[in-house]
Formats: sequence, C-alpha cells, structure tokens
Amino acid sequence: MTTATATALSVDGLDAGYFGSPVVRGVSLHVAPGEVVALLGPNGAGKTTTLETIAGLHEPMAGTITMHGESIVGRQTHLLAREGLALVPEGRALFFGLTVREHLRLARSKDGVGQQELLEMLPELDKCLDRRAGLLSGGEQQMLAVGRALISRPRVLLVDEMSLGLAPVIVERLLPILRRVATELGTAVLFVEQHVAFALEIADRAYVLTHGRIVLEGPAEQLQADRKLVTASYLGEAAADELSETANNRSEERLL
Amino acid sequence: MSSYLLFLILGLGSGATFAILGLGLVLKYRSGGVVDFAHGAVAMFIAYVFVNLRSQGVLPLPLIVVPDHIRISSTGIDTTLAIVISLVYAALLGAVLYFLIYRPLRFAAPLTRIAASVGVMLTFEAIGVLNFGTTSQTTPPILPTTPITIGSLTFPSDRIFFTGIVVVLAIALWLIYRFTRFGLATQAGAENDRGAALIGISANRVAAINYVIATVLAGAAGILIAPVANLDPTSYTLFIVPALGVALVGGFRSFWLVALAGILLGMGQSEIIKFQSQWTWFPHGDIPDALPFILIILTMTTRARSLLARGEAMTQRNPSVARPKNPMASAAFCLIAGTLIMLLLQGSLRNAFISSLTVVCIALSLVLLTGYVGQVSLAQMTFAGVGGFMLGHISHGWGLGFPFSLILAGLCAVPVGILVGLPALRLRGVNLAVVTLGAAFTADALIFNSQGFAGGLVGLPIKPPHLLGIDLSIAEGHDYPRLIFGIMVLVVVILMGLLVARLRRGAAGRMLLAVRSNERAAASVGINVPQAKLMAFGIAAFIAGIGGALTGYQQGTLTADGFATFASLGLLAVVYVAGIGRISGAVFAGIMMSSIGLAVTFLDERFGIGKYQTIVAGLALIVTAIANPDGVMSTTTGKGPAVLYFKLQDAVVARIHGTVTTKTPAAESEQPAEARPAVEQPHHV
Repeated sequence: MTTATATALSVDGLDAGYFGSPVVRGVSLHVAPGEVVALLGPNGAGKTTTLETIAGLHEPMAGTITMHGESIVGRQTHLLAREGLALVPEGRALFFGLTVREHLRLARSKDGVGQQELLEMLPELDKCLDRRAGLLSGGEQQMLAVGRALISRPRVLLVDEMSLGLAPVIVERLLPILRRVATELGTAVLFVEQHVAFALEIADRAYVLTHGRIVLEGPAEQLQADRKLVTASYLGEAAADELSETANNRSEERLL
Repeated sequence: MSSYLLFLILGLGSGATFAILGLGLVLKYRSGGVVDFAHGAVAMFIAYVFVNLRSQGVLPLPLIVVPDHIRISSTGIDTTLAIVISLVYAALLGAVLYFLIYRPLRFAAPLTRIAASVGVMLTFEAIGVLNFGTTSQTTPPILPTTPITIGSLTFPSDRIFFTGIVVVLAIALWLIYRFTRFGLATQAGAENDRGAALIGISANRVAAINYVIATVLAGAAGILIAPVANLDPTSYTLFIVPALGVALVGGFRSFWLVALAGILLGMGQSEIIKFQSQWTWFPHGDIPDALPFILIILTMTTRARSLLARGEAMTQRNPSVARPKNPMASAAFCLIAGTLIMLLLQGSLRNAFISSLTVVCIALSLVLLTGYVGQVSLAQMTFAGVGGFMLGHISHGWGLGFPFSLILAGLCAVPVGILVGLPALRLRGVNLAVVTLGAAFTADALIFNSQGFAGGLVGLPIKPPHLLGIDLSIAEGHDYPRLIFGIMVLVVVILMGLLVARLRRGAAGRMLLAVRSNERAAASVGINVPQAKLMAFGIAAFIAGIGGALTGYQQGTLTADGFATFASLGLLAVVYVAGIGRISGAVFAGIMMSSIGLAVTFLDERFGIGKYQTIVAGLALIVTAIANPDGVMSTTTGKGPAVLYFKLQDAVVARIHGTVTTKTPAAESEQPAEARPAVEQPHHV
C-alpha cells in the first residue's frame, strides 16, 4: 500500500499498557493522509489504550510511532497536540465551566480552521456558542469534543468511541463528519467504534483488535462483505458460526 | 462621629492585606485546586526578606543551622530595590514550592494535601521563629504617609494608597482571568488537565505560573503590611485565617468579592475596637479576632456549595487504617512496658514521658476523628484545653473528686466538639479544615484569653487527684514526678486507647470507615452520616478533653499557651507523620515526636536541639504527605519501617520455604500483613 513517508501515522510493533503490564502487544497500523481507518474490537481489546498511547498519554513499552515519518515516542501530549495530533478522548474531557466559544478559542491554533468553517461542519454548535459545556446535551458535547479537536486543523485525528452513550440517530449524524474532515482537510483519521456496521460504512479500511493483538485488517468493503470473519475475530470461530447461522436463518425468515 | 470614620479608614490597612492574601488564595485554588494554609507563612517570610534587605542589606534564606542569610550590602539597601528583590525571591520560592510539593500532590486525597500545606506552614513559621525571633519588628513606611484632611478628619494617606493598589490588582486579575487566553487556559487546566493537554496546553505549566503569581501576591501582601502592623512570625502566619475567610466569601472564585470582603473585614475589625473603647456595654475580649471565624461560619453555612471538592481522573486514596488485632493483649503489654519505663526514668525524663502520654491521649482523638472518619480537625488542642480548664473549675469550684471530675471534664469538651463538628454535616475535606482552623483561632482569642475561664497569664490551679484516700498527685515534697501519678495517667490513656480500639473493631468502626470512604455510599446502606460524624466529633472531643485534663493534673496550674492554634497544627503534623490511621501512630507521635514528649526532651537535654522540633515536624509532614501518606507505623502499605520489617520477613520465609514451592514469595507479598500467619500454614504441608 502506501510507503512509510506517505503515511500520516504509522505504528509499528507497539506494546502498551499500565504499570508494566502490556495490554496491547505488537500492534502495527498505519493511516494515510485523507484516509479514514476504523479500529474495531470487543470491550477490553486495547483500542483506547492504543489511541491514548499514540497521543502520548501513556509511555509505550516497545515499538515505534511516527507521524509523517518523524518519531513521536516519548513526546508530551500537549506538544504533540501543537504539532497536529488531535485526540477526541473517551469521556470527551471537556471543560464544563467554559462556554463552547471559549473552548474553540482555546483550542484554535494559528493556522487553524476558522470558526465559521467549523460551524458549517458542525452546525449544531452554532446555537449554543455561549452556553457552558456542562449544560450541553450528550450529543452536543460530543460535537464540541470533535469541534475542539478539528479547529486546530489536525494532521492526524484520533477519535475514541464517539457513539458512547448517544442515540443511533446522532451517531449517524456524527460519523460522516469524520469522512468530511478527511476529504476536506486531508486529515488522517483513526477512529474506534463499537457499531461495526456504521463504522464500516464510512471507513476506507479497518483493523480488528482482540486481546491486545490485531487479528484482522483489510478494506472496509471486504470486511463488510465478510461479516462472519469480523464476528469470528470478536467472538471466536465457533460462536461466529452459530451466530451467523441464526442471523442467516433470521434473514431467511424475513425474506420468506 | 468622625472618629468612627477614622477607625474605618485605619482598618483599610489590615483590610487590604486580607484582600491581597485572599486574591492569592483564589489564584491557587482556581489554578490547581489547592487551598494553601501556608499562604500567610510565605507572606511572613517574604516580609522578613524585605525588612532585612532594607534595614541591613541581608538576604535571608529559608534554611536553618547552615548559613541562613547572604549579606548583599553592609548597610541597608534602597526600598524600591529591596521590594523588587523580595518579589523576585517570592517568585522563585513559589516555583520551588510548586514543583517540590504541590505538583507531586496534584491528585492526592484532600487530607494529604491539607497535611502537606500545614507542613509548609509549620516549617516557615519555625524558620521564622528560629532565624528572626519572636519579638516583633517595625519598618518605616513604604507608601507616602502625608496626612490627608477631609473636613474634621485627618488620616495617613498610606492606607488609601494600599487599598488603591489592592483594588487595581483585583480589577487586573479579573480582566486577565476573564478575557485572556491565559485565563481560559488556567480554568481549562484546572478542570481537566488531560483535556487541556489534548489541545496543546500544559496544565502543569499553567498551574506553576499561577502558583508563582500567587506567591508574588503573598510576598506583596507581606511587604505592604509590614509598615502597618508589627512583623512577627506567628501573627503573620495566622493572617491565613482572615484570608481564608474572605477567600470563602468570594467562593474561591470571584476576585472583586474577595477584595471587597477583605477590605470590609479589616474595617469591621478596626471599628469594633472603637466600639469597645466607646461603649461600656459592648462585649469585651478579643472580638475583632473572632470576626473572621464568624465570617467563615456564615459563608460556609449559607453557600457551602460554592467550594465543592473537585472531581479528578485519578483515585484519591486516603491513608490506610489499621484494625487492632488483640486490644486487650496490647493494652496489657502497654501497661507493663509503660510501668517499666516509668520506673526506669527519673525527674524531667519521667515528666516528659508523662507529657508523652497526655499527647498520646489527644493524638488518639485525632486518630479517631481524622484517621477513621476522615474529618480533618485543626482544633484538637482546643478541645483538650476546654477539658483541662473545666477540670480546674470542676475540681475547685464544684468540689467533685477524681475520677468523676476527670470524666466530667472530658464530657465538658463534648458539646464544644459537637459545635465545631456541626459544620461538618455540610462540609468535608478542606472546607472543614478551614472551619476548624477558624474555631481554634477564635478559641485562642475568646476562650483561652479570658481571665475568668483560663486564669490569664497566671493560669488556673487544678486540685490534685485523690482516690479512695490514696494521694495520686504529681508532687509530694521533693518527690516529683511521682510514680503513682504516672501510673494513673498511663492507665487512663490505655483506657482511652481501648475505647478507640473497641470503636474501630465494632459496628461503629465499620460505620465510621464507610463515612470516610464515601458519604453517599454510606448513606445508601442505611448509615446515618450526620449522626456518625457528630458521634465521632463528640467522642474525639471527650478523649481530647481527658488528655487536656491529664495535662492539667500534671501541670498543677494550667496555662493556655499549650492549647494555642499552633499546638493543634503541630499535633496534626506529628500524628499524620506517625500514622493517622492507627493507634500505634498516636503512641509513636506522643513518645517519639511531640515537642514535649520523651524523645524530644531527651535529645534536647543531651544535645540542646529541642528547638528544632517544629521545623523537623513540619518537614517530616511534607515528606510524609508526598512519599508515605500512611505514616511511619504503617504495617501494610507505604514505606514505613514496619513495612520493611514484613518485607524482610517475607524474604526470609521465602528463602526457608523456597524449596517447597517457588510461587510463595509472589503469592505472599500480595497478602496484607495481618492475614499472613493464616496464609503461611499450607506451606508447611
């Protein structure tokens, strides 16, 4: 596929974890500029740990992480953020006492996205610019978290489970924004998502992470076509057979 | 009429000081969530830096024994230059304090953070006393003092300038923190440091800068007040009480409210002095000093929500709590060992051992209240003092004999304890510490200063104890201190220890610990949280009162200086260092660390180093809070000697049983120390 210099983000042989115990082992992945890549996997697979380690929130135990060919291992989070690596974290990490406008003002870098341009992408934020983040609804908060990451015009955008605790309607509205960001800003997007179907709809490619290892990777269409393989990587072969059988039966029933 | 106005204007001096100190406290809280009890102590130190530079050209260092100053010029130096150097000094000091102490404690439990800042406060106060002495110093005015005359009123203009500076500062701070990017970044970093990092803000750096600014403000406060009020280490350090009061009025947020409250408080205090001289019916006593406390109580009860505990990403672990295994056996051991020590020691050392026991008693009350229930009390010596002085009144005035007089004296402290504990129903953590500090400060001013209650400078005579015709008094002829008195104290303190152990082991103990861990969770399983807290305050006050009464018996004529605010702070320091979650911690604190206890007295007699006790206690408190919050006597966690001992034991046991199974050491080190004997059994099989 892409060569090392053409990738925006490249992770190779990454071991990461907590207090000396690795959670993620030997993870290698890469994202090209303008590409949208999904990182899938069951609970506890190590998706969040992977993203947070890339963003510099944890020290990797082994492996390399490069952004546009430059190693970023060991660099502090706030410095990485200034160099164009943005993470929309689990739990959003908003400042509840600050207004939406203040969030955007704080996060905007010199050559960042203009507020108008951002509000075109996230029109929902327009009506609550002067409201404090703590008073926003869950969906609005997530929009703000994404907006806060986007306004610095990141070169690499990491998004951790945007859909957590949100209604499917809102998720359907939120996920396509990632595609737009990749196309319009040329950002490399790596996102974690539990809704496999949604994720594969918008992603170019996907990785499946189970028990800390990448067990499956490929173009989104291919994975979409072979759902049984994805299910198997989540739950194991036997369960997948059983599940897909019942699923097949059900769809057949529906057809009948 | 004009003289009333004059006192109001004169009050602007102290008012502006409270305001500027309060502004610094607000900054520290807004940026790092720190309520810094050492703020006044730092202001005091910088004031000394300024005064010494100006009058002698000497730059004092925050050190003792080793050269504690640098001579810059043989005569004094220019005032402006002295101010600039002092403020730069303050900035450096702030940076050092932040990176050494407050940064490592960013995610610590409130108790740990309070302990650390009290440690800083004690350390600076001790350095002040050692290096500069307790006699107050004066320095010529800095601001122009040309009298201003308006109508029939003539007053010095420096108060007006000082107030003007404060108002300008408050407005400037408001503008900076409301409208600049730095202000927003401060708030963002304080609220969510991870979120701040993700948008390129180093919360740590922002907090450090704020801390430096706040320390410079503290220094400015010290410098500006020095010509207005006499400079001495203790009273400047205790400026923290009114400063906390005004910071509370502003909810630790609003700069202009804090400035206004500070100025009004200073004017109010000044005006009360005028009232007291003018109107005979106006209550006498040290009402002005009680005013900040009244302010604190009023604010806390009306707007307790304004200073909420912060939610932080990391878990805030409280110091560990021990469960006494076999209290009766420990009590018997303590009785025998204590009697032997009492027999071995003579004269002043035996007396010091008895003093140690009284401290153990008061320390036990802190173990119960702060260790088990997590209610930080900075007023424990106040309860002890109430018990002690009540014993004097009971034994002389009411004709009640031992042991009833002792018990009644302890009971007299209970209502005081409950009264101070009442705010705890709405407050927790640092807020409660603020209230109890205010209570201790006020008790100093109102109760212990009163001639009638505490006997003034002479002290209050206490009738020696007699029981069933046996004379238990401390002195008989040349025999001092008598063995039998020591044994009596020992028995009473052991009984108090048994009381605490029993509480801890029973249902009450589980209830109290549940309250400490999580009040909501405790309430959800049917625990009456207010009742549990008040019970803890009541019992703790009783135990402390007994301790104070024992001190009364020991001294014969009880004076108030042993029960001052700083005694309470010192007590928290030694008990926290020794291990606030365990009875052995109280024992260790009383015998090994208390300034009047056995070890310090011994060291002082041999080497003359007793005067360093406060600074050692202060530093030990800081180090303990950062590195070993469980204290010296911890057996299960942390870095105390007992932990090392058990680790060594583990290693030896593992070596012996190593041939049996290789898994032993790993499996065993996971177990808490108490459970170890039971676990070891299978290995022999």
